[in-house]
Amino acid sequence: MLLDFDKLGAWKWLLVGTTVLVCLFLLLPIVFIAALSFGSSRWLIFPPPSWTTRWYGELFSDSRWLTSALTSLQIASVVTVLSVVIGFLAALGLNRGSFAGKELLRALFLTPMILPVVVLAVALYAFFLQIGLAGTTPGFIIAHLLIALPFSIISIGSALDGFDKSIEDAAILCGASPWEARLRVTVPAISHGLFGAAVFSFLASWDEVVLAIFMASPTLQTLPVKIWSTLRQDLTPVIAAASTLLILFTIVLMVIAALVRKGRKS
Amino acid sequence: MKKQLVATVFTALVGLSGSAMADEMVFTSWGGTTQDAQKTHWADSFTSKTKIAVIQDGPTDYGKIKAMVEAGSVTWDVVDVEGDYAVQAGKAGLLEPLDFSIIDKSRLDPRFVTDYSVGSFYYSFVIGCNKTAAGACPKTWADLFNTVKFPGKRAFYKWSAPGVIEAALLADGVAADKLYPLDLDRAFKKLDSIKADIVWWDGGAASQQLLASGEAPFGSFWNGRLTALAATGVTVETSWDQNITAADSLVVPKGAKNKKAAMKFIAHATADMQQSQFAMETGYAPTNLDASRLMDEAVRRTLPDMQAKSQVNADMNYWAVNRDEIGKRWYSWQAK
Amino acid sequence: MAILATAGRDNGRRRTLQKRKSGFSFAVPALLLIILFFVTPVLGLLLRSVTEPELGLQNYAELIGSGTYMRIFANTFLVAGVVTALSVVIGYPVAWALVVMPRYWSQVVFAIIILSMWTNLLARTYAWMVLLQRTGVINKTLMGLGLIDTPLTLVNNLVGVTIGMTYIMLPFVILPLVGVIRSIDPAILRAGALCGANRLQCFTHILLPLSLPGVAAGALMVFVMALGYYVTPALLGGTANMMLAEMIAQFVQSLVNWGMGGAAAFVLLVVTLLLYAVLLRFFGASRIG
Repeated sequence: MLLDFDKLGAWKWLLVGTTVLVCLFLLLPIVFIAALSFGSSRWLIFPPPSWTTRWYGELFSDSRWLTSALTSLQIASVVTVLSVVIGFLAALGLNRGSFAGKELLRALFLTPMILPVVVLAVALYAFFLQIGLAGTTPGFIIAHLLIALPFSIISIGSALDGFDKSIEDAAILCGASPWEARLRVTVPAISHGLFGAAVFSFLASWDEVVLAIFMASPTLQTLPVKIWSTLRQDLTPVIAAASTLLILFTIVLMVIAALVRKGRKS
Repeated sequence: MKKQLVATVFTALVGLSGSAMADEMVFTSWGGTTQDAQKTHWADSFTSKTKIAVIQDGPTDYGKIKAMVEAGSVTWDVVDVEGDYAVQAGKAGLLEPLDFSIIDKSRLDPRFVTDYSVGSFYYSFVIGCNKTAAGACPKTWADLFNTVKFPGKRAFYKWSAPGVIEAALLADGVAADKLYPLDLDRAFKKLDSIKADIVWWDGGAASQQLLASGEAPFGSFWNGRLTALAATGVTVETSWDQNITAADSLVVPKGAKNKKAAMKFIAHATADMQQSQFAMETGYAPTNLDASRLMDEAVRRTLPDMQAKSQVNADMNYWAVNRDEIGKRWYSWQAK
Repeated sequence: MAILATAGRDNGRRRTLQKRKSGFSFAVPALLLIILFFVTPVLGLLLRSVTEPELGLQNYAELIGSGTYMRIFANTFLVAGVVTALSVVIGYPVAWALVVMPRYWSQVVFAIIILSMWTNLLARTYAWMVLLQRTGVINKTLMGLGLIDTPLTLVNNLVGVTIGMTYIMLPFVILPLVGVIRSIDPAILRAGALCGANRLQCFTHILLPLSLPGVAAGALMVFVMALGYYVTPALLGGTANMMLAEMIAQFVQSLVNWGMGGAAAFVLLVVTLLLYAVLLRFFGASRIG
């Protein structure tokens, strides 16, 4: 009866009440930031004396914001491609392979996800200073690739789990080369896993702050770094405007993801 | 060589080399309205004159300067720092000696010129008060440390630097000419008495935000930030009683990549015209002795160097020597 | 000849099928990446903690011997513990509700959770910075409702950090819990009810024990994440309640003390890996994620 909504009795209201409150709690900052971005007060007084689109104007007239958004996009795109390719291979190995230390290897591959990012950031920063990769785009990409890869391996791995390998073997016996079989049979069959890997990898890089703070240079800043440094120097409502656009971007991504999922089902 | 090779290979592999502009340099300062003014009046005119692009970065971080110099990977070319830090860092070998064949120091305020630095601008810690948010406005440092007469939060500068310790001692009744050497025990004891009511600001913009929103209706501020705040329509009252002066300096970290451009930039930024324009907008005093004759007399009268009555000069040399020791004590006191 | 060739090719194919069994070579690119840019740098940092400024364990001695650092450790564990407890207590009923709710509404709730999770971390933290100010919306609302007379200090202290971090961690508790609760067979609960158990007994004797592994896994995960959190404590915390991650960043960025930074990082690393091992031991690698 506890798992039947209509038979919960008074418990039902406790559950529903908590859920509603949590939803409000989760939505509050998101709605608030959108409202703040239209407020006229330079000093974040809320509710503001009047409403304005001035901060969006400032956002678009300052080329540094656009540049940093493009940098983010560029880095996240490269990270996504590399993460999906390397993650696919690694997942194949972990999923199909039968070699000693496989589980150890899996744990090692997932460690960057669980390790506090600040430790990785500090370690990589020191290492990159020594080998001359600090503040460079490749350095940035490597750093983000490390934390994106576990998401790829998990997502593709679970898709491979659900894929019957004998279909691939059949293709090989019918004359396809192993790679032909993988690319033309396996890859399409696990496309949802690849898509999930791509989305998570992209977000892992696009939203990442801590590594980015250590990898950035004055000429190489991603959007989160730009927001971070603006936040620390200046609480201007321009940050609210930038954040609101990011939230919109998130919603668009969510809708696309939902459509893709729906398309797959039908 | 090996470093370069590694970097080149990776860049080639990834195929994403950002093409850097032929002539550019990085200027780092404290952000907010002050850096905006530095960009408008110093950097933009410098770029149109020399065709050298100036990239703005910040906020200034002394740890980062040290890290960059030690790692031999310096990305900042000119940095706006506090005066006492400039003296200390120069002695510690973290800075490039300035090229005075490019920078004309004959007309710069000699108080702020060292081999490694020249004055950037000169400011006062004053008592600021938001008249709409505060019941009554404190006029003296003793008032600001009096939580009975003036209840509420008060804003102070977060980092260990000249200003807050001096204010605490002045509030406790130490005579202005007997401040140095600083009696730290006494200062911290005085600070303890208001600690629960202190809100720290870590940068100029944050200080303006605290005061304007009424988060802290009064406190100790850089005078220029109050001028800028008043210009946005906030009713700010400034008390210059025993205002504590200090200066910012322009320095070049050792091993800066664009040293020549950096020297030219400093020469440009400290010229009379640029100094006067910057001062008129920000309310900070110029460090070029010729700047004042280019300025509007009404504005001129509101600058820190005109508030000489009861003015207290922070002792930069004392701070340069004792900076680390005071800092250690300051941060562990704050963390308690 | 032709037959022989075909047979040879078939043998070749069979061989390739067999050779693929090993599959280790596929993992090589990832392994190289991890060894070169993950294991090496981390070991390098740890090495510096015992070699800088000179060979020895003096950095660790200083870390343990100093009241300031110990306070930061204690504070870090306190915050992580409180955030974990709050996330579980608040997240559990939500996960439960998501399982039993009408499908349409549960989809709406899911969408809200995912939206908050995907919204830029800095954007969310910035919103809390402004919301929680003394003159912020929350204080103004509470004062308007007559609940308080003077504004509460909600930011630049533990309260701010706790609110901000609980906000971020909630989805990480709710989502795995939904899976666990959903996998519980309602028949067991029905059986319990048939035997005369009331709702509370059903909850404490059946539902809670059955979902406990999910709670433990989620809690451990959140605790580990909270221990190493940097951005939110740095922006919402005050000078008196710094956390470990911030301390590490400060050692490296502001104080340029690689030895101490490395030592503090090592401590955090060891604690994290220990908890991670517990997680693996009890819940298996595939469950994390």
